Amino acid sequence: MSAINLPLVLALLAAAGLMVWRRANTFTWLLFTWLSLWAFFKFGLTVPIPQSVVTIYVGIMTLAVVSYASSSRERLSETVQPIVRLIVEPRFRLLLAALLIGLPALAAYNVYADMSAPLEAPGFGREIHPAPPPEITVHDETVNMTTADNPYLHLHEDDPAAWEEHLESGRRVYYENCFWCHGDGMGGDGMFAHGLNPVPSNFNDVGTLPALQSSFVHWRIAKGGPGLPDGGTPWDSAMPAWEKFLTTEEMWDVNLFIYEFNDFEPRALGQH
Amino acid sequence: MTVRANHRFQAAALVAAGLLLALPAVAQVDLGTEEQRAAGKVVYDKYCGQCHGDTGDGNGYVTPRVQPKPRDFTTGKYKFRTTPNGMLPTDDDLRRIIEIGAPYTSMPGWPNLTAAEIQNVIYYIKSFSPDFENPDRYGEPIDIPRPLESTEESIARGRVVYEEQGCANCHGDQGRGDGNSAPTLVDDAGDHIKAADLTQRWTYRGGPTKEDIYRTFSTGLNGTPMPSYADSLEVEDRQHLVNYVYSLGEADDPNYGTLITAAWTEEAIDLQDTEALDTQFETAPMTRFPLVGQISEPGRNFYPSVTSIEAQAIYNRGEIAFRVRWHDLRADNSGKNSPYLEVPMWDEDNDIVASGDEGGDDGGFFGIEEEPADDAGFFGVEEVEPQDDSSFFGVETVDDSAGDFFGTGDDFFGTGDATSDGAEFSDAVALQFPASLAPEGQPELKPYFLFGDAQNPVDLWFVNLTHGVADTFRGRGSEAIEPTEADIVEAVTSYDQGEWTVTYKRRRASRAGVSFAEQQYTPIAFSVWDGFNRERGNKRSLSSWFYVYTEPSVQQTATIPMLRAALIVLAIELLIVFLVRRRASQGKAGEESASHGLAGTEAPAV
Repeated sequence: MSAINLPLVLALLAAAGLMVWRRANTFTWLLFTWLSLWAFFKFGLTVPIPQSVVTIYVGIMTLAVVSYASSSRERLSETVQPIVRLIVEPRFRLLLAALLIGLPALAAYNVYADMSAPLEAPGFGREIHPAPPPEITVHDETVNMTTADNPYLHLHEDDPAAWEEHLESGRRVYYENCFWCHGDGMGGDGMFAHGLNPVPSNFNDVGTLPALQSSFVHWRIAKGGPGLPDGGTPWDSAMPAWEKFLTTEEMWDVNLFIYEFNDFEPRALGQH
Repeated sequence: MTVRANHRFQAAALVAAGLLLALPAVAQVDLGTEEQRAAGKVVYDKYCGQCHGDTGDGNGYVTPRVQPKPRDFTTGKYKFRTTPNGMLPTDDDLRRIIEIGAPYTSMPGWPNLTAAEIQNVIYYIKSFSPDFENPDRYGEPIDIPRPLESTEESIARGRVVYEEQGCANCHGDQGRGDGNSAPTLVDDAGDHIKAADLTQRWTYRGGPTKEDIYRTFSTGLNGTPMPSYADSLEVEDRQHLVNYVYSLGEADDPNYGTLITAAWTEEAIDLQDTEALDTQFETAPMTRFPLVGQISEPGRNFYPSVTSIEAQAIYNRGEIAFRVRWHDLRADNSGKNSPYLEVPMWDEDNDIVASGDEGGDDGGFFGIEEEPADDAGFFGVEEVEPQDDSSFFGVETVDDSAGDFFGTGDDFFGTGDATSDGAEFSDAVALQFPASLAPEGQPELKPYFLFGDAQNPVDLWFVNLTHGVADTFRGRGSEAIEPTEADIVEAVTSYDQGEWTVTYKRRRASRAGVSFAEQQYTPIAFSVWDGFNRERGNKRSLSSWFYVYTEPSVQQTATIPMLRAALIVLAIELLIVFLVRRRASQGKAGEESASHGLAGTEAPAV
């Protein structure tokens, strides 16, 4: 479940070590920097990044490499020297010819690959945790998103028996309503998850529930997909507005349950 | 001495023989230690009890809402086993299901559990049934031989076995789960159970490999109508049957797609000319899309019948045609259906088998009258494939005056013709498109995928398979669906051997709805209703938004762009080589220590 393609990163670091040892010249270093960053963005992250974002990253680092290379006259000549030698010195003639033929061929291949790539449906950026409104109204009750907290959270200390009851109620609500999408084990991999886009939220993920206040979770439960701002692509979300089907108490119960099941705690109030 | 030695020998032999007899059974009865079962209980209570019940009786919170039902561990009956029919499963059998689950059921795999946790939970599960203490209930696991090579002869022999053994009675002649008795099948609990669709290997509950298939018909699925063929079939015939069944499916994975590429055709598209139409669609790529139950709104469909749909599209200068296909265990084409039929929050007693006699309890239309069927003659064309009289072909157009559809439930049992007795609700399908697309350059705000919303309506091309014609609706949310007549959508339908095919056609340009321009990505979504499963109104299988892309009518070849790219690069290269060389020779001429001065075009010749 690591987000980084470790073998690739290790290989790149090893190559860098080798270059330090062999005292590579500036040109090789810049070429290496560019290629390794490109490879990292393209293949190094297991979390898929949209091609457009990769293009932006690669563009920025190209600018960075170019401005580094041209930051002083000495550095520029240092950088360009190997190229000039390649072009001028007769002993590189064969390599030069290969490059002269190889690069246009590569460009042509690139065009071919581009044109024959299988079509893909257009992708869309989506805000994963869009900013909630300052307050929401659930069942005629106003909930302030910054100050509201799960009203049963304190029972853990104050009344363990009541706490257990609320947890069990949350368990019932979850398995009567939620597991089809969010999964039996809450991995966002329920039996209907494969048919939904966006995929249901994964509550096992340390970046989801622990990063959110319980009021945020309450907002998502109560208002569902239709309550998302446009950036959250509300039209695609299958998350129902549960206020239509569940009581306020049930919604806080299931809120409690999904944190407890995963051994997480909501982000504390006022924590940013 | 010899006598005593002899006695000793006899005693030892007796003990040994006794041990030999007792050993296999003793070795199999392994109920774990008390600590292991207690540790198993902790795992069970957290992950299993909500479905299988906290006391293992299969009666958890989800039980009323899933089909097939969670296993009742107190019965000691298990479907997926390597042991003979009626026997208890081995620990490995149980482990296999816990690890990978049963696809397309509510039993998921549990890859997060450790081997020890799984072993402990197995011990705990076994404690629910006294059968596991009884050595007589244990059987030796069967041998699963290596699969035979899948030759044409083997597959042909498998087909013969398939016919001889009556597999088609449940699984259908083409293996689509549409056999004559498929609608009547029940499990031990009396719930309807689907015969596997053998063409969709990824939905096999017991797994998609040849070994899994061999195991299933060698040991049977206890508690279901699927028997064991261990006694009636030689090993080799079972292996041929494996090869035949395997040949019915194309892949282990459904390979769900996200895009239909509409193929260009110069020819006219004529829905009536079945042969030409089939040829035209042969050139169009087919995409399979996943369908899931609609559970976000009232009419919650927790166990939809149809789990995927295949779609294609073709278009010419003026028109676009879509073809969709899905499998259904029988054609329900005498009942009613529409996108706005009233449904309860969910069918609490969805007794599917007895569904026919519940006629009038709830399912009336509300508000809007159904479209009159007067235009049926205009574009309602039935595709007829008269090749096998035992199956149903073509679509009967039934007058929608009520009465026909309230069949009595008993009719289904054992009747040979599964299509004659109608369910109350008919099968139906709908394509969904946004009513309009965002203008060029504007961000795309799609309509809510559940029948649209107030700001962004959708258009539905709905076909009730009782009528076999397309009705158009505009949806502004599930509770605001109205018939429209802005665009004429034609449709032809056919049901053949467990497969529905519906082909739609419309003019590409539309004043009221979405127009299909060339090289345009248009959002599309699907809904399917299975009348047998009492699906109507918002109780349906549905998909998320996907896209249909109209491929360019003139296919561009890559040669010219490739040449252009290569020449541009070459020209730049030659220019650089030329400039660098010229500067180098100038530098040499001017200064001996040229190596620094050479660099770069900016560097002055020192």
